[in-house]
Amino acid sequence: MKEAKKKKPETSIGVSISALGAFSVYLITGLFLAVGFWVVRDKYSVDLISDPSLTLRLLWIIEFPIVVIIYSLFRRNPEKCSYFRAVGRSILGLISGALINALGAVSLGAPIGMQSLPKTIHWSFLMSVFTVVPATAVFGASWADWHRVFASLKPTGNIEYMILIPAYGATIGGWFGAWPMPLDWERPWQEWPICVCYGAIGGYIVGQMVSLSLMILLRKHKSLKLA
Amino acid sequence: METYLKHKKLVALGFLLIHAIAILIFTRGFLLTRTELPIHSTCSDVSLSPCLASPRPNHDSSSGQSNQTQPKCWTKPVVDRVIIIVLDALRIDFVAPSVFFPEPKPWMDKLTILQKLAFANESSAKIFKAFADPPTTSLQRLKGLTTGGLPTFIDVGNSFGAPAIVEDNFINQLVLNGKRLVMMGDDTWTQLFPNQFQKSYPFPSFNVKDLDTVDNGCIEHLFPTLYKDDWDVLIAHFLGVDHAGHIYGVDSSPMINKLEQYNSVLEKVINILENQAGPGGLHENTMLIVMGDHGQTLNGDHGGGTAEEVETTMFAMSTKKHTTLVPPEFDTSSCKQNTDGKQICISSIEQLDFAATLSALLGISYPFGSIGHVNPELYALGSSSWNLDNSDLGNFGTQSAAKEWMKNYVNVLCVNAWQVKRYIDVYSNSSVVGFSSDDMSRISDLYSAAEQNWSSSVKHILMDGNGDEGSTNISALLKEQIAAYLNFFSSVVELARSKWTEFNLNLMITGFGILVISLILQFLAVFHGDKSYAEGSWLSTGAAFTLFIVTIRACSFLSNSYILEEGKVANFLLATTGLIKLRYAVMRKTMRKEAFMFLAMVSVLRVSIDIGLTKQAATSQFMSSSPSWMLGIAPDHPALTYAIEIAPILSVVILICVLYIAIAKAPSEGLWKYVTVGSMVSYLFIALLWASESKILGLDGLLQVTGGRNRIPQTVYVIGLVQLCLLASARMFCAEKDKNWAIRAVALVSACSSPVILLSGKQGSMLALVYLVAGYCIMRLEGVERRTTSDGQSKFSKLNPLCVMQWSLLSICMFFASGHWCAFDGLRYGAAFVGFDEFVLIRQAILLTIETFGFSVILSVFGLPLLVPIHSQTPQAHGEKRHQLFQMYMLSGVISATTVTATILCVTIQRRHLMVWGLFAPKFVFDVVGLILSDLLICLASAYHL
Repeated sequence: MKEAKKKKPETSIGVSISALGAFSVYLITGLFLAVGFWVVRDKYSVDLISDPSLTLRLLWIIEFPIVVIIYSLFRRNPEKCSYFRAVGRSILGLISGALINALGAVSLGAPIGMQSLPKTIHWSFLMSVFTVVPATAVFGASWADWHRVFASLKPTGNIEYMILIPAYGATIGGWFGAWPMPLDWERPWQEWPICVCYGAIGGYIVGQMVSLSLMILLRKHKSLKLA
Repeated sequence: METYLKHKKLVALGFLLIHAIAILIFTRGFLLTRTELPIHSTCSDVSLSPCLASPRPNHDSSSGQSNQTQPKCWTKPVVDRVIIIVLDALRIDFVAPSVFFPEPKPWMDKLTILQKLAFANESSAKIFKAFADPPTTSLQRLKGLTTGGLPTFIDVGNSFGAPAIVEDNFINQLVLNGKRLVMMGDDTWTQLFPNQFQKSYPFPSFNVKDLDTVDNGCIEHLFPTLYKDDWDVLIAHFLGVDHAGHIYGVDSSPMINKLEQYNSVLEKVINILENQAGPGGLHENTMLIVMGDHGQTLNGDHGGGTAEEVETTMFAMSTKKHTTLVPPEFDTSSCKQNTDGKQICISSIEQLDFAATLSALLGISYPFGSIGHVNPELYALGSSSWNLDNSDLGNFGTQSAAKEWMKNYVNVLCVNAWQVKRYIDVYSNSSVVGFSSDDMSRISDLYSAAEQNWSSSVKHILMDGNGDEGSTNISALLKEQIAAYLNFFSSVVELARSKWTEFNLNLMITGFGILVISLILQFLAVFHGDKSYAEGSWLSTGAAFTLFIVTIRACSFLSNSYILEEGKVANFLLATTGLIKLRYAVMRKTMRKEAFMFLAMVSVLRVSIDIGLTKQAATSQFMSSSPSWMLGIAPDHPALTYAIEIAPILSVVILICVLYIAIAKAPSEGLWKYVTVGSMVSYLFIALLWASESKILGLDGLLQVTGGRNRIPQTVYVIGLVQLCLLASARMFCAEKDKNWAIRAVALVSACSSPVILLSGKQGSMLALVYLVAGYCIMRLEGVERRTTSDGQSKFSKLNPLCVMQWSLLSICMFFASGHWCAFDGLRYGAAFVGFDEFVLIRQAILLTIETFGFSVILSVFGLPLLVPIHSQTPQAHGEKRHQLFQMYMLSGVISATTVTATILCVTIQRRHLMVWGLFAPKFVFDVVGLILSDLLICLASAYHL
């Protein structure tokens, strides 16, 4: 257990990425999110409010491949781990991440009835795409990396910033997004999981921007530490 | 150190006193209370009054035959039958013509039949603008209408749980005077008057979404009843408009449909009445009253005191035709020109006056507690009948008819004034918080002035004057007398309003201020004498996060929605702290199992809270029921019933095992151990009781063996009391207090837990188990976020605010998970009768308090020492431990006091909110009782432990 505390040697880090590269990655993921919304509205003529579970399903199905394709490029130990293996483990990550997110949401008070089950499932898949999938694509089963980045909040290198901060952003955004739910405004978007979704997407985008600015601000430093 | 700790015990006591004073002051300003007097008026009382016992005898012969057949009571009856049609939440603009309002709206002028009748020439009908007194909820309003008083939020009376009116009221007087009553519609009436109606057709009122059931039921029974002669007073209460308002709002097509439906119903009713109105007919002398019990806002809400909510309306019509005779001095009508240029007028009336006026019209004694006066215009509508007879017989002109009416009216007012004065005197003498002596002497002066005038001059005029000589003089005298009485009434009502319906903002702000100061003091007390915190390290992430959670929770009380879903909010916050702990546990690579277990327990609690919320939604008018948590298992599935029967018993057995392990591990320590063994015996009894009650185990014979179903609970109570006595005496007489802290805390908690579990019913044991496991996880996870490297060496870890915060959030969740909510219908009255069949107020109140606050306050406060993390046994550690325990108690006091302060602030801000009586006030009462109880228990616990 103790040796996990030590920093990983630099050799295991795969392809590194510049701030500009990160920006383009964000641009592409954001673009596909927008494409997802566009497809939902124009092809299926529904939206998040009128049919949340269909919308969420389309969103994560569109977003998931692009996230996997991009982040698998930055996988650890590219010489040992093939590209397709990274893609394969991301699918596993997607499912287990969805399970974790769903359990977390239920413990925080998400409805557990039969009629909200599809919504919860698709919401947790989308959350999994935001939070767990990039990390599985990059780290795989390397628990030490996971621990260092997510638990100890000690990311090194731009790619880890790109994994950590948007993931936390999406989670915290979703947490805040749940706040309007009990209010008696009787708006359709107060239903589970619509406003939580908005919050998570908002938090994700804010997280992307924060990580981008951190990369630019702190790019001189070799070993970056969060305040 | 000893004196220091003695001083600390006094600190806890001091905060109890400060909180009690602050809350007392605030409550005096906010929660208006009134004592219900159990005295009833009777017919013979009137001989005590200075007034004429019966109206002028020479007119008795000339009154209608029907009046002679009935025995006279206080005043002469002027109408034979009364039909009261209550249209719930009838706004004034539903009835009054649209010219009275700035602009016509789609919902106006729909009840055209009432307007047509009221504004016809030679009309015997009138539209009144009626003023209700807040709280404008149906139950409170019906109470106000029938008692003629001002119901407050808390009417201190003998009704414990049951809403039946024990005070004297109009309905009760009708029954005493042999009138026959028929009721149809809203079942609130049958709740308020369970035995008074000869016939009743109640329909359930709580399903707000159902616009038609009550109304159709009413209509179905109303028309046949109108043709019958087996009743004297008919009450029909329609709910459609209220429900349409709650669901769709005022400006909606369902509302307009409802109004149009009512118009046709009323048209039909009036047709029937007019057809039967001829001499000798069924409705020869009947009065029809169509009224609202309160208004509503455009959104359909009511309960508060805004103009839209208190302004309702009343339409009154007598089947005898006549012209109105009220002298212009006492005419309250306001007039407008309608589109045809015709002068149309509506009068105004206080709902307060309804009981007195109807009693006078029907000639029965006024309700004892009525403070209203007989309204001249409404009284004139009915009383015109014998005036017309008089003018026919005696050839009096209109002028004399008016005078004749005034003579009758002044006598009625005399009786009325005497009755109100009697009530005020009796109330002031018998109530705990009566009126001030200044107010009383002012009112007495007014009354004696009026009475002096009465007995010196007016009485003689009525006794012997036949009114020929100096008629203008007599008329002026009468008017002067009436004015004197009305003056008396208005000052009584003004006094009563200020006492029973107006908040005292100064007292409220003073109470709030004291509470804020005590909060600051208590906050300082947490860190007093703790050098390490002064170095700035106290603002750790844990403390900052605790502050954040407390602030969020406090702010959430500013919105009624968060108060309604408080359980869910607390659970959300608790789960958030659990997730944070999990993150730290993963980071430190310790206690991960505990963190997951904690989250699992939180999930169990949230399911339990959801079940509680659906129960609440079934009775609350503010919540929509959402059965979304249902898992789709048939409720009568055999496996499920089996599980429901077995699980509580199994949990009790597990609890016994846990206690056994707890005392087995501890070194032998005589008394404490025996006390804990006592709890195990109690648990065993509880398991036996439940096993014998369950159907599937077939242990019915067990009840006979143990001597009835009350024997076991009583035994458990006795064991609990004996345990507490033992613990108290052990604390007082045994010096060996330095040893073994944990076993003492276990003994105290276990002694308290057995009655709590018993009273909570079968869910109790499972919840106790969840509570235990979650508490254990909190204890284990305490300090997990600290850097083990830096703090690990120091022998005594510092106080961790996050863990106290989690504990108090957990106990709040337990309150909601055990099926409670902050409303009086959330109390489980059944628990007061576990082990007892007959009702004794104090005993049952204690049991109810234990049930309500058992998990959330009693076990929470007594269980707090188990969270203290130090396990070292050195004397030095013991002192440190006591200091830390004191801090923890102070911190948990700060947390609960912050919540209460936020509630109080919110109640002060929202005191005119429409949900103040439905939602904020009950929340306030629960919070305040919880705070005082936990302060008290903190005092006891610090006396026990420190």
